[in-house]
Amino acid sequence: MIFVIDDDEIMAECIARAAGVKVRIFTNAIEAMQEITSGVVPELIFLDILLDGPDGFTFLNELVSYEDTAKIPVIIVSSLDFDKKDLSAYGVVGVLNKDTMNPKEIKSYVKEYTK
Amino acid sequence: MEKEVDGILVAAHELKAPLAVLRQLALSFDEMDVKGEHIRSEMISVSERAIKQVNDLAKIRRLEDGLFTMEPVAVREVCDAVSRELEYLFHYNRRDLYIKYTNRSRLVTANRDLLYSVIYNFLLNAMHYSGDETRAELIVRDVRDKVKVIIRDYGPSLPIDVWREMKRGFVAKPTSIAMRPGSSGLGLYIASKFSRYMNAGVGAVRHHDGTSFYVELPISRQASLFE
Repeated sequence: MIFVIDDDEIMAECIARAAGVKVRIFTNAIEAMQEITSGVVPELIFLDILLDGPDGFTFLNELVSYEDTAKIPVIIVSSLDFDKKDLSAYGVVGVLNKDTMNPKEIKSYVKEYTK
Repeated sequence: MEKEVDGILVAAHELKAPLAVLRQLALSFDEMDVKGEHIRSEMISVSERAIKQVNDLAKIRRLEDGLFTMEPVAVREVCDAVSRELEYLFHYNRRDLYIKYTNRSRLVTANRDLLYSVIYNFLLNAMHYSGDETRAELIVRDVRDKVKVIIRDYGPSLPIDVWREMKRGFVAKPTSIAMRPGSSGLGLYIASKFSRYMNAGVGAVRHHDGTSFYVELPISRQASLFE
């Protein structure tokens, strides 16, 4: 299962449709973190940065601080420019720009990081 | 100048977001096995909101030319029209809209287009900040010689600095840092500008479980002739 965390539900559903696998959508980081804490660990997370409540980086900091969640691969999906930034310390394995991404790129990440 | 550029950047970011969503929705057609009626509805809804926001920004410039006449406006009719327009969006986002009118005075002095935008922006804001399966409230009541339109959400409380700005009756510019998380405050800025033009009082009340925004409009003297 993969998680999509984006406060824009329509955008989140577009990502879920493109992923083509079982997806849980969260519109804020708190609910997603609660789900993970309760034992539902996703294989991959698509994460928006500008969120309602705690932002994407707060979520990433929380994620990497626990041994069992630190290795969950995360794809940042944002309209902010992260192209040249090294975010591997946050467990980020890829960045998709909302303005230019396409369903093939989403599928490709899903194929690479899920069984 | 710097503040103005800052405001333009925030507005540009907010206006770009629906375009990115529209692009993804268009690309989603390839992923659909069925006709894609759902996507079509989403595209219409997203584009209509974006158009409205651009129109509102254009209206702000036209305020300076005094092109919006003040006239007797039936406040309940405007509230009904706005809530009808946003019905799809509330339903789509699994929010309820509770409406309660207790005002006896039907007509206020306002500009219908501007009042529509004020209520629309407050309601859209309330929908955005209310949690899943919760409701936003639209309440209209008389307060002395005014009619008060209140829009209440059950989301995070408004930051105190924004509340102070609202208390002074004016949001100076849209800003990404001063508003509630995830918001540029563009809608609030627009509502504040339009309310000021109409000499309407605008403000916010912080609750422990959300925020109420309100606009107070003078009762139309024309109305008092009939009551």
